[in-house]
Amino acid sequence: MSNSVLSVISRFLSEYSSSTPSKLKLVDAYLLYILLTGAMQFLYCLLVGTFPFNSFLSGFISCVGCFILAVCLRIQPRPLHRF
Amino acid sequence: MAREAGLISLFLLALVLRAQALTPSHHLSSADVTRLKAFLNQPLEDLESAYYTIVGLSKLGARVSDEKAACQFLKSHHDPTSIDSLFFAAEASQALSDCEIPVSNETRDLLLAVVSEDSSVSQIHHAVGALGSLGLPLASQEVVSALAARITKEDNVMAIIVALQTASRLSQQADLSRILEEIEDLAARLDDLGGVYLQFEEGLEATALFVTAAYGLSDHVGMEPPLKEDQVVQLVNSVFSKKAWTSLAEAFSIASAAAALSDNRFHIPVIVGTQGPATVSHRQPTLKIQVTNVLSRPLPSASVVVESARSVSSKNVVLKQASFTLREEVFELNFLDSKPASGYYDFAVAVAGDARFVGSSVELKVKVSTEVGITNVDLSIVDKDQSIGPKSTKVEYPSKANGPLIADSHQNLALSFQLVDENTGVELTPHQTFVRLYNQKTDQEVVFVAEPDSKNVYRFELDTAERKSEFNSMSGTYALHLIIGDATLENPILWNIADIVLKFPDEDAPSVVQSKNLYVAKPEIQHLFREPEKKPATVVSNAFTALVLAPFLLLIILWYKLGANISNFSITPSALLFHLGHAAMLGLMYVYWTHLNMFQTLKYLAIVGSLTFLAGNRMLAQKAVKRIGSQ
Repeated sequence: MSNSVLSVISRFLSEYSSSTPSKLKLVDAYLLYILLTGAMQFLYCLLVGTFPFNSFLSGFISCVGCFILAVCLRIQPRPLHRF
Repeated sequence: MAREAGLISLFLLALVLRAQALTPSHHLSSADVTRLKAFLNQPLEDLESAYYTIVGLSKLGARVSDEKAACQFLKSHHDPTSIDSLFFAAEASQALSDCEIPVSNETRDLLLAVVSEDSSVSQIHHAVGALGSLGLPLASQEVVSALAARITKEDNVMAIIVALQTASRLSQQADLSRILEEIEDLAARLDDLGGVYLQFEEGLEATALFVTAAYGLSDHVGMEPPLKEDQVVQLVNSVFSKKAWTSLAEAFSIASAAAALSDNRFHIPVIVGTQGPATVSHRQPTLKIQVTNVLSRPLPSASVVVESARSVSSKNVVLKQASFTLREEVFELNFLDSKPASGYYDFAVAVAGDARFVGSSVELKVKVSTEVGITNVDLSIVDKDQSIGPKSTKVEYPSKANGPLIADSHQNLALSFQLVDENTGVELTPHQTFVRLYNQKTDQEVVFVAEPDSKNVYRFELDTAERKSEFNSMSGTYALHLIIGDATLENPILWNIADIVLKFPDEDAPSVVQSKNLYVAKPEIQHLFREPEKKPATVVSNAFTALVLAPFLLLIILWYKLGANISNFSITPSALLFHLGHAAMLGLMYVYWTHLNMFQTLKYLAIVGSLTFLAGNRMLAQKAVKRIGSQ
């Protein structure tokens, strides 16, 4: 089972790195960064506690907002070389 | 049949109304009258105040101290060309004995000329008053028509009152009915305050002048004023409620109203009050009542009858239709002849003798007090298991029992006594029947209540073992006192019956009894400030800060690997401005966090943001142009 999952993932990664134009990859890198930042904050909140709650809210929600805006840019159905 | 039923119901209604009749709550006592006279008796400065002083005092039956000087003052100060001046001088001179103001033909013509529709009501009043006091003839019918015309134009309360006063100076042959109707209209304009007071919103002076004018005109014409009994009493309450008068005009109006109410043909308000407290006892068996008019002068024709005297507690009628005897202007009744029990009684008193009396049914609360005697006092020590017979001591008031009585925890202390009315022998149940035990050494005091049983014998039992908590288990000698008191007792009793030695079983109480002192400083309260929230360890926070910032490094690395560069950056001013503005906005965010408040931030943001927007717009437009151009 895990075999097929691993093969799917490796196939996906190779397809991704070959067929995605580099400009989209830039945006994807940015998306990954935002995602990780938000995930780290959420992890802290789960592990250590919600004090101070205001900070958690502002950090997490700003990550979510930036992520959404960047996703909006990425899903534009433009020809790939035109940016 | 129906007519009889109607009459009976009317009679019952009249009874009910009579029972709820209002009685005057304010009047001028003799001290008030003296003060009013002193207030009015001010030195003569100008003509108007002289008028108030002289005429006001005459209404109260007093005279100015120096009449000749007053007359001279009037003669020298009056101005024959002024209507008001003539009025004041003429009226004041009438009040003085043997004072005549010289009158010339011009004066008379001037006064007569004022009587017309064109002068104000007060002008007409002054002219008519002056003409009357100076003994000059005038045409009453002309005055009436002028007044009637003026009243329709000047509809305020004071003008109509002045018109009433003017009408009372006119000849009785004239047709004054038009003016007379105004009394009823004015009475309708009075404000009822709580059912007790009736006055004009224009004030006390207006109300008092209305009373004077209404009764003056009614007496003159011979028709009863259309005021109900309750209204008259309410007017009395209003006019005499103020005992400190602010101006001479106000004092004059009160004096005029008092004179009108104490001597007119229709309504005389009656003031009924007891002389001294309304208490009757064996030493003072007579109830004394004074009946006066509003000026505190006795009414010669009055006779006082108590219609019923009802006991408040038992609702029995003790006395019916007994009349008071008049002795030296005070009405007396020996109430103790009816052998009332001690307590409070409601007296319904009626004053008769003159059909003009108003407020003549009065309710009085009379107290009958008596002396109490203690009999059959029995103090005994009873053993709880009743193996030994009780040792009982009989004590007579006011002596004390011989030797202290000893009671320990196996014994009860019992006290029984009876309270009787010394004068009638009836058993009494006063409000306060307390048994007090007082320890002199420790300053302890315990008070119990003795209760009567069904035969009105008071009993008190002290179970030493049961009650030891009240005594804090302090054994020792206690003085036993009996306290008897009541509002209707003339001789309250505090009697030291005996000394009791109480022995409590366990001496576990502290040797020194801390008196439950309420007034000692209480322990200080330490204020607990709100604990700051528990923060996680610095290590954890730092670790997670690093973790959160780490993805940024990852981003830089990835972008570098992907070959991101800024080679396409066209160095145009708008692009630079855009990026700088953007950076400034991020910097502003930081500064907002540390220094600013929302409003300042919004202000700066508006400036920076609009610049950034414009620059960004321009930059993007340029980029688009470049892109389209390169296609």
